[in-house]
Amino acid sequence: MIRFDGAAKRHPDGTVAVEGLDLDVPAGRITVLVGPSGCGKTTLLRMVNRMVEPTSGRVLLDGADVAGLPAAKLRRGIGYVIQQAGLFPHRRVIDNIATVPRLLGWDRKRARARAAELLELVGLAPETARRYPFQLSGGQQQRVGVARALAADPPVLLMDEPFSAVDPVVRAGLQEELLRLQSELNKTVLFVTHDIEEAVRLGDQIVVLREHGRIAQLADPHTLLTAPADEGVAAFLGRDRGLRGLGLRPARTVAVRPLNGSAVQGDWKLTTDSAGRATGWLHADGRRQDAPAFHPAADTLRVALDAAVLSPTGLAVAVDTEGRAVGLADRAAVLAALAEDAHGR
Amino acid sequence: MDGEPLVRWKWLGDHLGYLWSLTLDHAGLALLPVLIALLVALPLGLLCARLPRLYQPLAAVFNVVYALPSLAVFVVLIPYTGLATKATVMVPLTCYALAVLLPTTVEGLRSVPESVRQAATAMGYGPWRRLAAVELPAAVPYLISGLRVAAVSSISLAAVGALVGQGGLGYLFIDGFQRTFTTVILAGIVLVALLALATDLLLVLARRLLAPWAVREKGAAR
Repeated sequence: MIRFDGAAKRHPDGTVAVEGLDLDVPAGRITVLVGPSGCGKTTLLRMVNRMVEPTSGRVLLDGADVAGLPAAKLRRGIGYVIQQAGLFPHRRVIDNIATVPRLLGWDRKRARARAAELLELVGLAPETARRYPFQLSGGQQQRVGVARALAADPPVLLMDEPFSAVDPVVRAGLQEELLRLQSELNKTVLFVTHDIEEAVRLGDQIVVLREHGRIAQLADPHTLLTAPADEGVAAFLGRDRGLRGLGLRPARTVAVRPLNGSAVQGDWKLTTDSAGRATGWLHADGRRQDAPAFHPAADTLRVALDAAVLSPTGLAVAVDTEGRAVGLADRAAVLAALAEDAHGR
Repeated sequence: MDGEPLVRWKWLGDHLGYLWSLTLDHAGLALLPVLIALLVALPLGLLCARLPRLYQPLAAVFNVVYALPSLAVFVVLIPYTGLATKATVMVPLTCYALAVLLPTTVEGLRSVPESVRQAATAMGYGPWRRLAAVELPAAVPYLISGLRVAAVSSISLAAVGALVGQGGLGYLFIDGFQRTFTTVILAGIVLVALLALATDLLLVLARRLLAPWAVREKGAAR
């Protein structure tokens, strides 16, 4: 666990980066520090691995003041991922990943074997190992950055806007990957971002910061979206926070009408392929449109609602794990699930 | 001397061994200073990268040295190093090479993107170790560019050394001029050019070998 105990940073010129923060970052969970630029979130992150020394207060790592640990040794035990990836341009991917194990004195063979494991873990092809960073896309570089941070299996991972420099589609993929990794590895993750959407998506616990590192709200994502502490937080969350909150709620409560035989709705007919996957809605006049679908067991209410809104018939197709169409849900059914869920909470 | 042709091929054919030994002489005279300068520039550059306040005055001194005419420096040095010793030529050439190599070393070390430097620090590199393991290798393309300039200009400057009794191929110019023997002058020019070309080619090859990742700034632009 990481504990900030009145940690403050005042610059020599008198300006205050962080006024003095008390915060517990629980072990094995993702804690997101989110706030506008200048709120001190990166400063706080860097206090943990001593790249910034607090001018007063302490940062404790598993009960020990980090100021009492040798900086280099401390840092080798903490993974660190930054926005620009910061890969070493002169080292091949495999040797970039093997950096910390090598610093810890592992022999080259063992370090490379470990690096190869991590390459696979972050979803990169084995042939990527021989490439140089400049030969990779931005998203691939970030994956290598994550693999490098995890190489020596540190219990703590610091991530400073790691996905901000890639395009939204790649970012979504990287976020998903991080959640998958975290479900396997259970690291203590401290994640900094200015993107509230990202915070809600990734955080088990979200710390909304104001200027000088003051906590505006500390909450789980659902509470944050449904019960912002004040108008400032609500404004930061944006006007569609209710809608975004649907992205946190499972779609399994939506009442699905089982599909037996063919589905007909007015002039529209649902067509399926030989495997039973929906291929689209076919109109009597020959027009064809997509059949948006959701997976009740895995998707969120937001996906279900989206599918129902986009469907020409107002019916969202429910699919099973293999992608086969198994049922239909109309907009009323999705809205009913919404209402039920809200009461249930 | 009406009958004197531009090039007497027979003379060239008869003196191949002589020309070869002059070329080797010239290569040593010109390139050994570059090598020494490199060995000095690396630690000095690392020091300057750690102590930026040292760099400005040092760079200024070498710039002034670079501005001094070589012949004048050779002549000034004679009382200290003697007329016919290699040191008279090699000491100034080392200084000239250093004037090129020190800035390129420092610029190369500084060329490393801030994100790379921070990542290295965050992974537990101490400042010196980071310089040696991350910043120095990243500076190799810069260093080789500097070496190309330093080596070629040193090859050209070394010829002037013939005027103080040392100069490898430079001797051919004096000899040819005194005897109005164009064959020798032309041979000198061609051999100096060839030596410069060969050295440059070797350095380009070295860059490919040592820094295959440095493909025209593409990586750095990211």
